[in-house]
Amino acid sequence: MASVALRRLSKVFDGGIQALSDLDLDVRDGELLVLLGPSGSGKTTILRCIAGLEEPSSGDVVIGERVVTHDAPGARDVAMVFQTPALYPHLSVRENIAFPLDMRGVADAQVARRVAEAAARLAIASVLDRMPDQLAEGERQRAALARAVVRAPQAFLFDEPLSRLDANLRIELRAELLALHRALGATMIYVTHDQTEAMTMGQRIAVLHEGRLRQVGTPEDVYLRPADVHVARFVGAPGMNVLQGRGRGMGEGGRVVEAGSLTIPIELNTYEGELQVGIRPENVGLCAVDRGVGNVDVLVVEPLGSETLVLLNAGGQRLVARLPGFADVRVGMRVGVNVDRRRLHLFDAAGAPLA
Amino acid sequence: MYFGTAPLVDATTAPLSPDDLAPLAAGGRWRDGAALVPLKDRDGQEVVGAVAVRPHPAPHGPLPGGFGFAFPAAILAVTVAAVIAFRERSLRRGAYMGAAMVLALATYLDVRWAARDGTDRWLVDTRRLLQEAATRLPPPRVRVAISDLAALVRDGEVALGEPAESAPRRVRVDGERRAVVAVLIGSGRWVELRSVPAELEAPRWLLLLLPCALLGPMAILLLRWAERTPARRLREAAIAWGFVGPAALHVTIFTIGPALYAIYLASTANVRALLRDPLTWNAFRNTALYALYVPVSVALALAAALAIYRYRHHWGGRLLSAAFLLPYVASAVVIALLWQAIYRWGSFGLGRPDWLSNAGTALPALMLTSVWAHMGGQMLVFLAGLQAIPQAYLDSARVDGAGAWRGFWRVTLPLLRPVTWFVVLTGLLGAFEMFALVFVLTQGGPFPPRATDVLVHRVYGAAFGAQAFAVACALAVVFAAVLLLLTWPQLAILRRQVRNA
Repeated sequence: MASVALRRLSKVFDGGIQALSDLDLDVRDGELLVLLGPSGSGKTTILRCIAGLEEPSSGDVVIGERVVTHDAPGARDVAMVFQTPALYPHLSVRENIAFPLDMRGVADAQVARRVAEAAARLAIASVLDRMPDQLAEGERQRAALARAVVRAPQAFLFDEPLSRLDANLRIELRAELLALHRALGATMIYVTHDQTEAMTMGQRIAVLHEGRLRQVGTPEDVYLRPADVHVARFVGAPGMNVLQGRGRGMGEGGRVVEAGSLTIPIELNTYEGELQVGIRPENVGLCAVDRGVGNVDVLVVEPLGSETLVLLNAGGQRLVARLPGFADVRVGMRVGVNVDRRRLHLFDAAGAPLA
Repeated sequence: MYFGTAPLVDATTAPLSPDDLAPLAAGGRWRDGAALVPLKDRDGQEVVGAVAVRPHPAPHGPLPGGFGFAFPAAILAVTVAAVIAFRERSLRRGAYMGAAMVLALATYLDVRWAARDGTDRWLVDTRRLLQEAATRLPPPRVRVAISDLAALVRDGEVALGEPAESAPRRVRVDGERRAVVAVLIGSGRWVELRSVPAELEAPRWLLLLLPCALLGPMAILLLRWAERTPARRLREAAIAWGFVGPAALHVTIFTIGPALYAIYLASTANVRALLRDPLTWNAFRNTALYALYVPVSVALALAAALAIYRYRHHWGGRLLSAAFLLPYVASAVVIALLWQAIYRWGSFGLGRPDWLSNAGTALPALMLTSVWAHMGGQMLVFLAGLQAIPQAYLDSARVDGAGAWRGFWRVTLPLLRPVTWFVVLTGLLGAFEMFALVFVLTQGGPFPPRATDVLVHRVYGAAFGAQAFAVACALAVVFAAVLLLLTWPQLAILRRQVRNA
C-alpha cells in the first residue's frame, strides 16, 4: 500500500477544454478518499490520470515515493474498477480474475491460490467457472472487484462502481467495500456523484467543481463548514439553499439580509452590499403567514414518508424546506417561513465564505 | 379473289420482289414450305403479289376451352365448401376431399377433352388447307408432289395413305400414338395427315391444376382466421401484406421461380458424367485455391483497421482509410481493367511481362488483385467492430498490465471474434462466387491448363459457351450444395458468436 499525491496537476483536452487546473491532493496510505462532484467536474479525469490512462498536461502524479507521471498504466501497480464491470466476455470469471496476474507472469500455483482467496473474500467462489454473461448484475461487479483485489495493488481506483446497480444491491456492496477497506487497509480513491455514498464511505471527501478542488475534509467538515458556495450547493441531498441577497443595517445594531421576499436577521460585521445566504433545507421551517422572516408560495410538495420536501417561491428565488413526516401543506398555499439563524452560511458575491 | 382458305390464312411473308413475281406467274407456287397464292390485278391478267398460306401451329396442351370450365367450377366449389364449413362449424374433411377429388377429375376430363378436340380441329382444318393447296394451287396438269405438301405442314407428318372415313382417328404408328386423318388430294390420291395428340400432355397439366384444389382449404382457413381475428388486427395484417406483398412477389417470380426452374433443368442433366468431367474438378480446384486469398486480405484488413483506428483523429489515418476505401467503392470491372494494365505493362518489373498469360502466375495475379479490391470493405467492417468495443475493456486491460501487443491478442482480438468470423465468411462466399475478374482478365485461361477457370465461370461457359443449360444448372446446383455444406457450420458459429457478444 502506498500514498497517492497529485502535484499541481492540470489537464487540457484536445479542443482546449480545461478539465483540471492546478490540482494538489494528498491521499494518505490506507485512506479511503471520496472524490465528489457533479458531472463534468473532472473527478474521473483525476482517476484516469492516476491510473495512467490519461497523460496530464502538466504537474505530477506520485504513488508512494515514486513519480509515475509518464509511466505506462501497467507499471504503476494500481487497480481500477469501472462503472461497468468490464469483465472480458470471452473469459470465464476465474480467467478474468487471474488476468492481471497472468499479465505479470505470476506462477500458476500462486495464481490459483490468490484467485481462490479473492473469490472467497467477495463471496463468488461458486460462480468462478461461469462466463460473465451468466452472472447476475451484483455478481458481475463483485467479480470486477475481485479482479482488482487479487493484485494487492498500491492503490485502488473506483470510478462510480455502484452507480449502475439497483438501490438494494448498492447498499449491500457499499457495506462490503467498506469491510474490504478495513480488512485490506488499502489506499482507495473512490469517485462518485452520489451524496450518500460520499458521506457514508469517505474518511475524507474531496469536492470538485469545474476542474478545481474546492474542499478536502471529513464528511462532517464538508457538510457543516462548506469552503465555498459550490460545495454548499452540491453537498447534501437536496443541497443547501443559496439565496441572492443584499445586506443592510436596521439601526439599533440590527442587520438583515433581504433575499427575495425574506428579510433574515444576521450577526455579521461586514454585511453591506451583495451577498449570498446559505440555508440547509432541514433548517427551514414553515409557520403562519406574517409570523416568520417572510412569506412564500408553495410550488411543489414531495412527501417521501419519513420527511416531506417542499419547494417554495420566495419572491422569485427557489427555496427547499425539509419537514418531518407528512407536512400539512398544499401546492398554491401561501405560508410564512422560519429559518434557524444559528445555522446560516453567508458567502460573498463571488462565493467565498464570510466568517 | 381467293376465298376458299381465307379463314385459315395465318401469316404472310415479306413482300415479294419483282424477281419472285415472274416464277409465280409461270406457275411456281411453292416456296419455303408455304403455298403462295398469287394476287392478280383487277383484269385478272398480271400477278402483282402473293399470299403465303400455311396451317396454324398444331395445338400443344389444352386449349383455353379447358379453363372455361375449370375455373368457375373451382370457385364455385370453394364457395360451397366454405359455406358448408361455416354452417357446420367444423371442417368436414371427408366431404371436402370427395368434392375436391370430383372437381380434380372433372377438371382432368375437361382438359383432356379440350386437348383432344383441339387436335381434331387442327387435323380437319389442315386437311382442308392441304386439299385446297393440292387441287387449286399447282399449275394445270401438274400433280403436286407429296414432299411439297409435307413441307407445308410443319407440325405434322404427311404420308401416303388409304381411303378412309373423314373423322380423325387415333392409331399407333411404329408404337407411337398418333392422331391421323385421311386427306383426298386428287382423283384417287389419298394421303394421311398425322400429328401427336395433344391429350397425351393432359396429365402434365393436371399437376398444375391439382394445387388449385388446395385453394378450397386455404380459403376456408383464411376465412376462419378472418372470422376469429379482431378487425384491427385484420387491418394491420392487410397493411403488413401491402408492404410485404410487392417484395414477396418479386422474390417469388425472380428468385424462387428461377431457382426451382434451374433445379428442374438440372434434374435432366447427366450429373454422373458431370462429376467425371475433369473440367468440373479443375474448376473446384481453382476456386479453392483462389479462396486462399481471403485469410491474407482479412489479416491485412485487420492490420489496416488497427492502424487507422489508432490514428483516427489524425489526418494520416483519414487519408489511409480513404486510400483503402477507394477500391471498395470502385466497380469490379474497373478494378479488373486497371490491374490488366498493371499486369500487361507494369508487372512491377518482375520476371516475364504478362502475369496473366502465364499458367503459373495467372491465378496468383487474380488473388493479388482481389486482396487489393476487398481489403477496403473488410477494413471498414473491422473499423466498425473496433469502434463498438467499450473503452472500459481496453482501459481495464491497460491498467491490469497488458501492453499493446498482449492487449491485442488477449482482449481486442477475442472481442473482435464475431466480426472476424463475419468478414471471413462473407469473404469466402464472395471468393467462391467470383466471376467478374476472371471474365474480364483471363476468360478462364491461360488455356491449356484452364488455370483460372473458376466455378461460376465454368457454369457460365457451360450455359452460354456450350449452350448446355441443363449441365450449367446441374453445376450450379452442385456448387450451391457444396457452398451450403461449407458455410452452414460457419453460419452456426457466427450466430453463436453474435449471441455471446
